[in-house]
Amino acid sequence: MSDAGLAARQVTVSYGRQRVLDGVDLHIAPGETVGLRGPSGSGKSTLARVLALLHTPEGGHVSIDGVPIRGARHRVPAAVRTRVAILFQSPRAATDPRLSLADIVAEPLRATGVPAPAVRARTTELADLVGLTPDLLGRRPHAVSDGQLQRACLARALVHRPDYLICDEATAMLDASTQAHVAAVITAYQREHTAGVLLITHDTALMSRWASRGVDLAARPASPARPGSADHRDRALSRRS
Amino acid sequence: MTDLAAPSRLRRPRRPVPRTGRAGVAVAAVVLAGAVAACLLAPVLWPLDQSAVELGAIRLAPSGEHPAGTDDLGRDVLHRSLYGLRISLLVGAIAALVATVIGGCVGAVAGTVGGWVDRALMRVVDTIAALPHLLLGIFVVAMLRPSLGAVILSIGLTHWLSTARIVRSELLSLRTRPFIDAAISGGASRARVLTRHLLPHVLPRLALATTLMVPHAVWHETALSFLGLGLPPHLASLGNMINDGQRSLLTGAWWASLTPGLVLIVVTLALATLTGRWRDRLDPRVRAELNL
Amino acid sequence: MTATPTHAPAATGDTPEWPPLLDVDGLTVRFQLRDAVVHAVTDLRLAIRPGELLAVVGESGCGKSVLAHALLGLLPGNATVTGRARLHTAAGAVDLLGCGERHLARHVRGRAVGLIPQSPATALTPVRTGRRLLTETLRAHGHSRAAASDAAVRLAADVGLEPADLDRYPHELSGGMAQRLVTALALAPDPPLLLADEPTTGLDRPLVDHTLDLLRRRCDTGAAVLLITHDLAAARRVADTVAVMYASRVVEHAPADALFTAPAHPYAAALLDALPDRAFRPVPGHPPMLTDLPAGCAFAPRCGHRTDACHTQPDLARVATSRVACHHRIGAPT
Repeated sequence: MSDAGLAARQVTVSYGRQRVLDGVDLHIAPGETVGLRGPSGSGKSTLARVLALLHTPEGGHVSIDGVPIRGARHRVPAAVRTRVAILFQSPRAATDPRLSLADIVAEPLRATGVPAPAVRARTTELADLVGLTPDLLGRRPHAVSDGQLQRACLARALVHRPDYLICDEATAMLDASTQAHVAAVITAYQREHTAGVLLITHDTALMSRWASRGVDLAARPASPARPGSADHRDRALSRRS
Repeated sequence: MTDLAAPSRLRRPRRPVPRTGRAGVAVAAVVLAGAVAACLLAPVLWPLDQSAVELGAIRLAPSGEHPAGTDDLGRDVLHRSLYGLRISLLVGAIAALVATVIGGCVGAVAGTVGGWVDRALMRVVDTIAALPHLLLGIFVVAMLRPSLGAVILSIGLTHWLSTARIVRSELLSLRTRPFIDAAISGGASRARVLTRHLLPHVLPRLALATTLMVPHAVWHETALSFLGLGLPPHLASLGNMINDGQRSLLTGAWWASLTPGLVLIVVTLALATLTGRWRDRLDPRVRAELNL
Repeated sequence: MTATPTHAPAATGDTPEWPPLLDVDGLTVRFQLRDAVVHAVTDLRLAIRPGELLAVVGESGCGKSVLAHALLGLLPGNATVTGRARLHTAAGAVDLLGCGERHLARHVRGRAVGLIPQSPATALTPVRTGRRLLTETLRAHGHSRAAASDAAVRLAADVGLEPADLDRYPHELSGGMAQRLVTALALAPDPPLLLADEPTTGLDRPLVDHTLDLLRRRCDTGAAVLLITHDLAAARRVADTVAVMYASRVVEHAPADALFTAPAHPYAAALLDALPDRAFRPVPGHPPMLTDLPAGCAFAPRCGHRTDACHTQPDLARVATSRVACHHRIGAPT
């Protein structure tokens, strides 16, 4: 296997006594779209956060282009952190309600010390790309729809031209048209920058249309969790139905 | 506002129950504005010699010349109540600020550093909270000489606990929000996350906590003065006056403590009403109502 | 379809042998903002019959959620609601928009019309366990104490909750479990009409299907369900009829089969084309702001069939089994 790519190696994560991920391997090569399937509670979102360098696994590690990353969040240098972007399911939870859409998109640039004229230029360029009109850019999250807000989140995710983009159920709350639009923007970006995309979705039609290959995240093995835990139930139900 | 699908803005009764009536808020605002104006203008318009006594006019009942009567040293009760309010509000405001700074710092450290630092700080908070805070305040004053500074310090040092808890819990819940993840992922440094994304959300709460604390601090100052541990006895503070008034009470001069007591109750109630209204506005559900 | 009320007049002329349970006519909702008016729902006409599952689909912000809240009198104070929404129940017919808050609270909400809200987290009382919430609801609707506790367990099983989960407090439930609990609560009084506002948000695929099938089964036993969703796949799975909303109006209301195989309105067709198992192509352009709708057909600026005729608002006209509001509907003889 070549070194290029975003990889999880034997990643293990527990919350309290509950083991969520147990020795998971995943590799996303530049330019490919990996679809990640798995039942509810199999740790898809946790894996997304680990890969986005937002959660330190107890065991194993994430590597980018063969270089292992130590720690997560602020322990990872900003230049490395910004190589992986993440798009969350709920745009409302993922945006600061005090900021205008323009500020939401521009914030990562300002945070990394990009000069103001360059920030303006890049914000305008991205707003165009994701289809946000100047009128919308001036508004705050409460005054736009989920679809419009998710476009702003997409612009923000692409603002540093990341090499990898992780979409954690990013279109589940969107209508078909916005979903297709977001997918088209990501695909175009991916083609231009040979970026790797991890697509987490429960929508099989979307998965087979968009992902270049699919990976199954198996339900985790029996854990010492309480028998009545939420995830356990969800799995039991999904087996039944 | 096209996002009419957002549930929080819709799942409300057709006529929201007003938490504080408009009239009440207006009255409170007028009372407070009047009190603050009177406090500011008093030294110019109606100066008071704090140590003057007039033994020829002791315990006079309310009359045209002394609308609230005079006390057992012949001092005009209304005049001194005004100056008492002045001192009480000043002490209350400064003490609340001191408490907010201490509590804000402790809460911010606990909420952002986390781990054992958080646990240690919170145990300290719990321990102090377990002691009666008036007793603690008395202890602080007793260590120093009764003075304005001692009273402020005594209140400040005993009232920061709730502020620390508020700031800490706000920060802890904010830290796990996806928009903080997004900021970190976008390359924001620790300092930037704290100053740009966390504190702006905490500051309104903090300001509210401070204002809510002012009436409390005023009462605390009054209590200390009443116990003879607060401000120097010749100074006209509401607590001192109520304390002095109880001597006159036994001789039937009820008016000596009535006016300072009423001033205390009315002004702190007005303050509490206004801050309560402000808290309602901060509540996102109510705020959404105002926006739509 | 077992229940067939006989007293209800066939108000819309749709298949007279099945008189409507709910008959909405000219429903219009406006929100007054400081500097603008939101046109949330405009001149909406819908009928839903016993045993029918009607799905209202559309982009977020097209006004579909407001519809459910308007029917239950749950809109905020700055909303003005006009029009008629007659509900025909065993007790007679009542206009939901005109009967007043007291009648809605005593006889409609939860009793004649159930609501599965969009965000379960805010809809559950945090200090009661699921079991208490359910038994309280059941007892309020005439179950005895013993019967209520049995029925609670049965209902929970219906929606996919195990008895042990009922003893948790709302904050201990995952999003999906809370969603199932509010579904059970809405079903508890067995309302003849159920409004489901995005009932599958936060559920994964098997649970989405489970919930949808549950709604379908309700219809098969004679109740009616109004399903509000952005998920076209969900609508295709269970709906009898589908109403497509665009910019506050219903642009096409058709039997599900007809809509998904041969949509007549260009917007419905474009929306279906956006599905990943079809062209996966977004609808060109942007939806208009509800505060600033264009004159005439609101879809015209994005529409490939646009002509001068589109400057006037098309009527929701009857075409075979459907109603379509378009001057240039697809498949029309030219």
